[in-house]
Amino acid sequence: MNETGMIKIDNIIKVFEGKRGKVIANNGISLSVNHGEIVGLLGHNGAGKTTLVNQMLGLLKPTSGEITIMGQSIIRNPKQGRMLCSVQPQSQLSLGELSPLKAVTIMGQMRGGNETEMKAEAMRLFEALDITEWINKECNQLSGGVKRLTAFCMAVIHSKQVIILDEPTNDVDPVRRRYLWSEIKKLTQQGKGVILVTHNVAEAENVVDKVAILHHGKILRYGTAAQVSGKNGKDLRLTFLPSKGFTNDNLPEWATDVMPIEERIAFAVQKERLHLAVDWVRGQVECGAVYDYSLSESTLEDVYVKLTSEKENGNNDLNHAI
Amino acid sequence: MTLTMQYKQTLKMQVLRSVGFYTVVAIMQIIISLGIAIGFTYLFSDPEQQSVLYLATGAPTIVLLMTGLVLLPVHITNNRSEGYDEFLRTLPVNRAAILLADTTIWLLITLPGILISMLITNLMFAPGYAISPWFFLVYLLCGLTCVGVGYGYANALPPTLAMSLSQIIAFVALMFSPINFPMSRLPVWLQVVHTVLPLDSMAKMMRSTLAMGTFEVSIFDIIKVFIWCILGFAVAIKILNKK
Repeated sequence: MNETGMIKIDNIIKVFEGKRGKVIANNGISLSVNHGEIVGLLGHNGAGKTTLVNQMLGLLKPTSGEITIMGQSIIRNPKQGRMLCSVQPQSQLSLGELSPLKAVTIMGQMRGGNETEMKAEAMRLFEALDITEWINKECNQLSGGVKRLTAFCMAVIHSKQVIILDEPTNDVDPVRRRYLWSEIKKLTQQGKGVILVTHNVAEAENVVDKVAILHHGKILRYGTAAQVSGKNGKDLRLTFLPSKGFTNDNLPEWATDVMPIEERIAFAVQKERLHLAVDWVRGQVECGAVYDYSLSESTLEDVYVKLTSEKENGNNDLNHAI
Repeated sequence: MTLTMQYKQTLKMQVLRSVGFYTVVAIMQIIISLGIAIGFTYLFSDPEQQSVLYLATGAPTIVLLMTGLVLLPVHITNNRSEGYDEFLRTLPVNRAAILLADTTIWLLITLPGILISMLITNLMFAPGYAISPWFFLVYLLCGLTCVGVGYGYANALPPTLAMSLSQIIAFVALMFSPINFPMSRLPVWLQVVHTVLPLDSMAKMMRSTLAMGTFEVSIFDIIKVFIWCILGFAVAIKILNKK
């Protein structure tokens, strides 16, 4: 990977002043995206992801800080934001009577491509995503998933060096999601940088090179998925279905990061304590306190839920992975 | 890419996205225009030629008002509600290209209504049109004023308020504007209001170029319309470039 920092975001602060006082949407955000890299922005609704993206596009002016894309300051020249980035917006595009083929071809032409080449490239994208049967229908007659994939094609056709995808897989079926990720990988192989904004942590873990977890306008953790998801990937997670009589007193004293997941309970297990964990859970099954269990590697989603829950509970004692 | 190319692609996208809607709007304008120029004459048992000419030369102004100040803002308000205007703001084109494309579309929509109603009215009543060489320029200035003001308020106000205002304007333009009747018939306070609003001045300008020699316009009217045109587009450009 070429570490040239095509996007550099340095200590961005964005404060909105409304009738109810000030709202800090971004609070000292710093990160970078290199050529050929996918960086995931994860966070709840209202975490500040879209505000950050809008500042990168030059649609919003930061209160302070600097954003540089391909060496150009977006703060000094906001117009360059949308000239240097191709974007798939979060909201479902209302393209009315336009057909996917026309919409995608016109978007390619807007980025400077010629009509014949853009039509051919649009067809390649439709075939890659397996949506060719809908390309001549009006967009207002399409399903949510096909509309979303059309918006993705509009973002990536004849794209700029930076591509911002805001929830690209919403409403898309699992098979076509794979096709979509494959197309994104192809873009990174061409040296393009991708910013992926999503709530879907499990999906992001498999595709991103780096991830930033945002919460209430701050980055809680930033690094590779492995760095963010565990202490050098050494943690395991024991998940079990407790019986009605199970209480916290049943848990072993070395159990950490205990987290309820619907009817189940999960906790982190360091690899050196694996045999202890297996002995403990088997004992619980034998005495009827636990019905079933599974042991797996700790995931990014576990860390995401833990970090954001702790922040909600006022625990600020968290360190960045990098 | 040049501004011309950006304009061309934006125009293509905007037209193809709503071609059915624009067609319906154009047909509506033909009906409204014919309704005023022909339908209103049925209010009189034996309409004088002067009355027919007054209505026939007022109809194009009503078409411009209904298109630019009512239907355009409704369309923009719908786009805002659907998030389409946010998408437009992310396009890799100059914002002027978007404004120019929309202005072109909405001006073109008014032409069938104006031209067809003039043709049919002339065939039915021969009211005495005397079209001035300045007609097209005046049409452009009045059309741009309506589009500019409509674009400006539709983007500047919250969507619900903009939608309500468009309905009020439709009502006021048809019923309480000195377009289909002389200003002197209105209450004094409304006459004062109309000295500030551009509606009366636009109607006078259009009339003076459709029935040259019969109706006149003052330089004050031209300046007033010009100022409203600039104000409307200034607000629209400011909102489009808002950070």
